[in-house]
Amino acid sequence: QEYTLRATANSNENDEDYDGLVVFKNFVESASNGAIEVELFIGTQLCSNGAECLQGVADGSIDIYISTSGGAAGIFPYVQVLDLPYLMQNDRVAEAVMQGDFVRTMRDMALEDSGDAIRLMTIGNTGGWRNFANTERRIAAPEDMEGLKIRTVVADLPQELVRALGASPTPIPWPELFTSFQTGVVEGSKNGITDIMGMKFPDAGLQYLTLDGHAYMGALWFMNNEVFLSMPEELRRVVVDGFYALQQATFASPKRKSIEAYEAFVAGGGDLYVPTPEEKAAFAAAAEPVYTWFEENVDRGPEVLAALREAVAEAEAEINAGLEADLN
Amino acid sequence: MLVWFLPLFLLFLMLGLPVFFGLLASPGLLIWWDALANDNPRFMRDITLLYRNVYNGMDSTPLMAIPFFMLAGEMMNRGGITHRLVEFSQALMGHFRGGLSHVNVLSSMLFAGMSGSAVADTSALGSMLIPAMEKQGYSRKFAAAITAASSVIGPIIPPSGIMIIYAYVMEVSVADLFAAGLVPGIMVGLGLMLVTKIMADKYDFPAASERATWKEKGQASLKAFFPLLTPVIILGGILGGIATPTEASAIAAFYALIVSLFVLRSMSWSDIPDVLKRAALASAVVLLLVGAAMAFKTVVSLSRAPESMADFVLSLSSNPLILLFLINILLFIVGMFLDAGPAIIILGPILGPIFVEMGVDPIHFAIIMSVNLTVGLATPPMGLVLFVASSVSGERVETISKAILPFLAVEVAVIFLITYVPAISLTLPRLLGYAG
Amino acid sequence: MGALMALLRGLMAVNSVLLRVGRTIAWVAIGIMVLIILYQVVMRYAFNAAPNWTEEFARFLMLWMTGLIAPSAYRWGGFVSIDMAVRTLPRIPAAILSLLLLMLAMTVLIVGAMIGWSEVTGFSGSFTTGSLYTFVFPSLSEGVTFGWDKMPRSHMMASLLVGMWLLVLVNTELVLKSLIALFDPDRKLPQDTAMIAAGAE
Ligand code: NA
Ligand code: NA
Repeated sequence: QEYTLRATANSNENDEDYDGLVVFKNFVESASNGAIEVELFIGTQLCSNGAECLQGVADGSIDIYISTSGGAAGIFPYVQVLDLPYLMQNDRVAEAVMQGDFVRTMRDMALEDSGDAIRLMTIGNTGGWRNFANTERRIAAPEDMEGLKIRTVVADLPQELVRALGASPTPIPWPELFTSFQTGVVEGSKNGITDIMGMKFPDAGLQYLTLDGHAYMGALWFMNNEVFLSMPEELRRVVVDGFYALQQATFASPKRKSIEAYEAFVAGGGDLYVPTPEEKAAFAAAAEPVYTWFEENVDRGPEVLAALREAVAEAEAEINAGLEADLN
Repeated sequence: MLVWFLPLFLLFLMLGLPVFFGLLASPGLLIWWDALANDNPRFMRDITLLYRNVYNGMDSTPLMAIPFFMLAGEMMNRGGITHRLVEFSQALMGHFRGGLSHVNVLSSMLFAGMSGSAVADTSALGSMLIPAMEKQGYSRKFAAAITAASSVIGPIIPPSGIMIIYAYVMEVSVADLFAAGLVPGIMVGLGLMLVTKIMADKYDFPAASERATWKEKGQASLKAFFPLLTPVIILGGILGGIATPTEASAIAAFYALIVSLFVLRSMSWSDIPDVLKRAALASAVVLLLVGAAMAFKTVVSLSRAPESMADFVLSLSSNPLILLFLINILLFIVGMFLDAGPAIIILGPILGPIFVEMGVDPIHFAIIMSVNLTVGLATPPMGLVLFVASSVSGERVETISKAILPFLAVEVAVIFLITYVPAISLTLPRLLGYAG
Repeated sequence: MGALMALLRGLMAVNSVLLRVGRTIAWVAIGIMVLIILYQVVMRYAFNAAPNWTEEFARFLMLWMTGLIAPSAYRWGGFVSIDMAVRTLPRIPAAILSLLLLMLAMTVLIVGAMIGWSEVTGFSGSFTTGSLYTFVFPSLSEGVTFGWDKMPRSHMMASLLVGMWLLVLVNTELVLKSLIALFDPDRKLPQDTAMIAAGAE
């Protein structure tokens, strides 16, 4: 083969990131007729978080890496726009946005800010949507969050959101989270259902889950730009098509995986609450200060937020037009 | 080409290159050599990856517990707390035949509750007990051997620097590991006491003192009360929901400071800089080693050795009981040459998943691996604890190595007991809420 | 040999000063680490208001502590090694072996120091930390922007770079000593008087 691409994901082989990579590897290796080989490094074998891995992508010791928005925020702070609550209604809107020009806008921004080193290839999904879960009580309104210690990562935006809803953001390392629920060091978290069940958090008392869907768990797939551009055009096309196949796989995989996870959560006695549209509106109103915070404090925040809002409006218009035709 | 990393590393080690440099030089040279052979212009990026992971390997919150527990241990030492633990042990066990050997083991068990390091145990208790034992007629090599053998209890009974590293690399809960280590640690202690008793009867060892009266026992307990509270504070703090393990380690260090400064008044303010300096010095060496081992591990992954090693292990047998036996032998041999921390960082991610896949509980496997490699600290030729025992006692490493054999035998027996009776490790964490 | 001895004395004097400064910063750093983490526990447990900067700042201090005091440990023989080969060989081969090992260590350190420099000054260093801030001085070329800004990771990564350079200095000292011992085994070598026992595990 002529090109060997090192791809890494910090998750494990049960994760949708891995599903995406398997599809990518298979597609690229066969469509390139063996000219490209994809080597997978799953877990923290080469690097263990967004900053470390993106440094590797920039200098080419890693060719492909999937980052969460929190992981990339240290160098591209505006990717946290995906963590802004309640901007996208559902999967259909989010998936339309992630397949449109919004990703190209973000790619240009990332290339500019990395000196043409890091290329955003596509945005898929990793784990569905973030929801609030806690050990204490059912949360139906923002007031119910009052005083809860909610675990967040050490990043500004999730902390601002938790604070805006009246709870206290508390940074706890992921491996200690189970014990921390159990002993009451923290009382809640904001995670997708597959992570909650994968870590057996309900066994530690995390029994109340409100499906507020406050953030789309976007998976940002980055690639070393120089390696990409060094390929002849027909192979670049194979890679780009490969990322399209990967994206579709990561859109589908969490939907399939979450069914079982939700069933297991309820079977274990968990309280699964779906807020009404009015209640969701109350959450969105309470979260309002986060938008202002984002525009005022995040580099290129207004620019990226405007791009996302425009993309969402376009996607919604298109979906509604389609629905108009489909429903009648 | 990269698969030569291990033989080359061992060669450097045997020639006398410090472990830190060996961990970086062997993969670095192989990457370079590989690049020359295959005309690979991208090799410098892989060397950069190696360097970067030294830094990344150290830049971690859970690892902060290492300097904190080191500090707690130093405070205990300086603050005369070690002394009180020995007196307390003597009041309880001094009147037995072989009294001071029993005191040596018991003190190590108590010291283990506050310190996470076998080296700290050897140097603290050894400098006090080896001369005392010699005075009572024990041979110096025996005194050094029992000190070294019992000091490995330090990182088995919580807190434990080795388990902090294991939890960090394998992403399991430090709290669960700590809870799982308590009973195995006590078993190692009881095993050593059993050997001591047999030898004491055979060679007619002296008792250390008259049987202590209840009043004397009471006084010794009172003096040791505040120090003995440390493990209660650490575990209570973690399990009571007040603190994460890293925070509990800082609390332990602060508690030791308060006790030595104000309660026991055995340390003064002017001692503090020196105590902090010693803790910083000892933990910096460990942290650099952790970083270098993390970097080494990256190159191991690039070479795809983990996959071929896993295939090899699974080709030996599909019976986990047999494989566990073989792995224990492998770990014991590795422990003879490699420090526990680097060994865990390099081998944990390779071996752990194989056994977890086969149904071995991850915490149980963690204990098997940690205890085995901890015992490796007291095995020649690369037994850190033996070096320290040698420098504290003035006895040659080779001589101590021979005298320690009966104790090592009982420790190996305990390792196999722990391996084949998972309940020894898992009962306590399960009682405390471990869901595995 | 006289020139080598003079060089060694000079280097040792410089190293002694640098390493003493390093140790002083290191012990202060570990002390502050304890206080910061205690503050974190109190704020969360008693006031339900967990600060977000404490952990990262403590890590910052731990990394600097390591970079600044590890070279002292190396100088005092605190880096673990098996000295069997050197002890069993006759004097001349043993001295040559020690020298070769020191040169290997020097290669590791110099490559490390070079990569470290490009890491700190390059793209890798420009990532920001999650919660730490640093004072930005006015820069006329880019307009007068100053005040507090997110701290770049380079401020943390510089700890290992500084550590590498200090280790290079210490290693040079060891090379000189080993050279002198090779050619003039009877000469008494100067010792570092500040040595405290470096235990490690
Ligand atoms: Na311990
Ligand atoms: Na002992």
